[in-house]
Amino acid sequence: MVDSKHQWKAWLYLAPALILLAIFTVWPIINTIRLAFLEGYSLQRALGGATFSVGFGNFEKVVQYQGFLTCLKNTVLLCVLTVPISTILALLIAVVLNSIGPLKRLLQTIYFLPYVTNSIAIGMVFATMFNMIGSFYGTENEIIETAGIINNIIMAFGGKPVNWINFGSSYWANMTVMVIYIVWNALPFKILILLGGLQSVNKQYYDAAKVDGTSKFRTMTRITVPLLSPMIAYVVITGFIGGFKEYTSIVGIFGDNMGPAGAKNSLNTMVGFIYQSLEGSHQGRASAAALILFAIILAVTIINLYVSKKKVHY
Amino acid sequence: MADNIVIMHNRNIKSVTNRQKAWGIVGMFFRYLFLIIVAIGVLFPFYWMIISSLKSMEEYRLTIPTFWPQHAMWSNYAAAFSTGNLGTLFKNTVLVGIVSTILSLVITVLSAFAFARLEFKGKNLLFGALLATMMIPGEMFTITNYITVVKFGWLNTYTALIVPFLVSVFYIYLLRQNFMQIPNELYLAAKVDGTSDLKYLWKVMIPLALPTLISITILKMMGAWNSYVWPRLVANDEVHQLVSNGLRSAFTDAGTNETNYPQQMAAVALVSLPLFLVFVFLRKYIMKGVSRSGIKG
Amino acid sequence: MKKALAIVMLLVIVVASMSIFVACDKKNGNAANFEVPVGGYDGSEITLRFYHTMGSNLTDVLNRYIESFNVLYPNIHIQHEQVGGYDDVRDKISTELTANNQPNLAYCYPDHVALYNMAKAVVQLDNLIDSKETVTRADGTTESLGLTQEQKDDFIKGYYEEGQQFGDEFMYTMPFSKSTEVLYYNKTFFDENNLTVPQTWDELEAVCRQIKQIDPNSIPLGYDSEANWFITMCEQLQSPYTSADESEHFLFNNQTNKDFVNRIRGWYNDGLVTTQTIYGAYTSGLFTDLTATSRSYMSIGSSAGATHQRPAKGEDGNYPFEVGIATIPQANVNNKKVISQGPSICIFNKSNKQEVVASWLFVKYLTTSVEFQAEFSMASGYVPVLKSVADNPVYSAFLNKADGGNNVAALSAKICMQQQDAYYTSPAFNGSSKARDEVGALLVKCLKGETDIDTAFKEALDECEYFVS
Repeated sequence: MVDSKHQWKAWLYLAPALILLAIFTVWPIINTIRLAFLEGYSLQRALGGATFSVGFGNFEKVVQYQGFLTCLKNTVLLCVLTVPISTILALLIAVVLNSIGPLKRLLQTIYFLPYVTNSIAIGMVFATMFNMIGSFYGTENEIIETAGIINNIIMAFGGKPVNWINFGSSYWANMTVMVIYIVWNALPFKILILLGGLQSVNKQYYDAAKVDGTSKFRTMTRITVPLLSPMIAYVVITGFIGGFKEYTSIVGIFGDNMGPAGAKNSLNTMVGFIYQSLEGSHQGRASAAALILFAIILAVTIINLYVSKKKVHY
Repeated sequence: MADNIVIMHNRNIKSVTNRQKAWGIVGMFFRYLFLIIVAIGVLFPFYWMIISSLKSMEEYRLTIPTFWPQHAMWSNYAAAFSTGNLGTLFKNTVLVGIVSTILSLVITVLSAFAFARLEFKGKNLLFGALLATMMIPGEMFTITNYITVVKFGWLNTYTALIVPFLVSVFYIYLLRQNFMQIPNELYLAAKVDGTSDLKYLWKVMIPLALPTLISITILKMMGAWNSYVWPRLVANDEVHQLVSNGLRSAFTDAGTNETNYPQQMAAVALVSLPLFLVFVFLRKYIMKGVSRSGIKG
Repeated sequence: MKKALAIVMLLVIVVASMSIFVACDKKNGNAANFEVPVGGYDGSEITLRFYHTMGSNLTDVLNRYIESFNVLYPNIHIQHEQVGGYDDVRDKISTELTANNQPNLAYCYPDHVALYNMAKAVVQLDNLIDSKETVTRADGTTESLGLTQEQKDDFIKGYYEEGQQFGDEFMYTMPFSKSTEVLYYNKTFFDENNLTVPQTWDELEAVCRQIKQIDPNSIPLGYDSEANWFITMCEQLQSPYTSADESEHFLFNNQTNKDFVNRIRGWYNDGLVTTQTIYGAYTSGLFTDLTATSRSYMSIGSSAGATHQRPAKGEDGNYPFEVGIATIPQANVNNKKVISQGPSICIFNKSNKQEVVASWLFVKYLTTSVEFQAEFSMASGYVPVLKSVADNPVYSAFLNKADGGNNVAALSAKICMQQQDAYYTSPAFNGSSKARDEVGALLVKCLKGETDIDTAFKEALDECEYFVS
């Protein structure tokens, strides 16, 4: 008797969550798959009374589209560049931070600061740091009124100013800015996790290494990294998942143009592609792209897990 | 400092332990140097944001930049507040943040309790299925949720901003784990005393799980403060706009299409301030929550 | 057993939620030509929602005319809302359409109407325009529901016909207020240096080179809208751009167009021209800012933005230079072409036909009222859509005051009125605004010089075709 009463109660407690999940989580999964296979599905057209045939048309259209391939390339490139850079840098910072006494807490707090920021807002700050004001960049008629603080620093060291994000800037200059911003943004979380890991590592391992006279580098590669490997695997996996969903950082720096003036969408990403398809009332294609993104994330995560199973020492 | 190290180094060259000590000091020096350079790199954008926000447009446009504003233009902040319509943006964001946090907490607590304490058929299967949905990227939900919201007639309402993302499987998971750690005997004892479930939940479990609940609250509020994509899709009108969405275009003059960067930076600083304050006072909870969640907001 | 039960529960929830959606999936009324109810407007209480982009100075004018409209029709209530820019109006309505929650009336551009018509949402006006019904007003007077021949003829032809360019024979929009592009030039500088105002692109190039010699730091011409430049060049050179014909919409990938793009690229490389995207702001900034390192002496921009093309007054209370306004340069001075811009107004389908009729009465009231058109034009800097506005005493007095300083808006209006026969509009279809965006982006991309012109054209075409396919 009590049991059945409990059953009834449990479902009651779960009801709000389950109803909302059914509408906003379960149904979307089903429907998004459905839309992906309705060729050329558009909400607007659907309301106008159009019907759509079932097939792979959306996927074909999307993968043959140059704009989508650009998004895919950008997303992969950003992941491949930012995840290793930020992980190695975070590891280095965490190890060094763990080895000092005074100021440790203060520095740790400072390093965490970028985490509690609005990525659109701080993206705008980065944009002003790299922004040039002027005209005719790269021609003999070049006029630079304000070079931007980063260029000022470069020039103070005798370098030449670079057109980072303005009209006429090169793809790699844009990429560099994005990588710097994304790494800056990604560091806090990684440092936090890795430092937490380091602090839980048993001090005895290090004392043993010290007695043996093992070099710092060897200690790092033979003791620290293996002991930290679960945390490293964790930040790499979450880094890749986050990396494949990169979007707002680009909006922060380049705005809805998703690229410098005159090169719209040149830095667009998979997620950006999905939203643009939605705004263009191409819900079918957006769904197809979302499924492709899901497949990629799933594959990368599985590979990561597989690799870490072999390398991670628990 | 460097000289001292060299002298110490020379003097003790024969003694291995002293040598190590000297190297230790040199090493320490470089460690701090490295950490301080990183700290400068981390802080520089904040510094640049604040000094840019205090410059006049003329000073901002100087070919050789000033590292400290000549005249602090505090009026930029007032202008940013009115031009950027920050009052409305803040109000909307706080409203959406608070309402969705409260509702979300209620739902999360109830479900976590059911999963942690109650026995019912299919519990584990259901829980597993819920966890599986966490793997799916949010964009897959967004497409259909957008259509749903449109069909419910929720476009440009607070409802559209609040309801679709009230339930977070992750928070349910987090809280369930926390509830599980509370000994079952307490619950059974309460049952014997005739305490109702809800009373027990309120008197015993919630106080014990308070740190987790605070972490969830903070992350949820930060989520509202930082959300961009969904609000942009469903409620991007002037009345319902949230901070991230209103920020980017507000400081571009409609007549000339020129951006007033100092005012823009003032607005960015104003938007960053609440987050900064929350961070200063509740750092412990944020870091704890973040290290477990691994997601921003 | 447990598993089965859980799965059944889940399925129930899913099916239940799906059925909600099926229930919500009703379609907007499939609109053929609107059938005017017998008797026209029946006097019932109706609230109309009207989306526009007017600033407060214009809503002041609008509010006054709503008041006088309400004297005639006290039961038709107008709620109007400034939604933001034109794109915001479009986005808001296209999302509201999906919930059948669209307004009754909206400011529109032709390509917006093409978009709304994917959901067959815009009322075809032909039956309303031709209606012979008579409506009685609150003051006892009557009016014909349709337009009289006189009223039809009073519209400037190019503007009126814009409502019919949707690839079928129907009329979807009424012109509301119009603008075009004009050439602003620094008259003081031109007079000092004995420069002639260019009438053709050849003359323009020559003048730019002269200016560059006089002031090597200058960017002689700023052209605001890259898209307008491209489309206007097509029109002037009589080279294909787009067509409303379903079989082939995008025709701009041709040699004539590549040649003029190449020519503009040459000008850019010589430092003669810049555009809004390249400069990063409206080029009026270059034209009016006397403190900047570089400045321009000519600026092509919207005729409605004349006051932005005027420099700020100096300390002595005078304008530092006088603004001159002329028709933009042409390829062929005997066949002038200037773009027709500015909002039209469209009416949305509603299940209650009285709402549509009431909307029409309001639209008719605003677009055929000489007084409203005159006042609105003076406040906005736009050009009236009725010929007879020129005879309106207030408006003609306004035009007579035209000068290159305080009354620069009047000068702009005057130039626009003089080139009435030169207005063109491009075909509107789903994808026409995409084509517009793409050719604008294409021009900028070519100026940058990274991609060669052939590739840039090909890419723009691919983008357009991907969008409509």
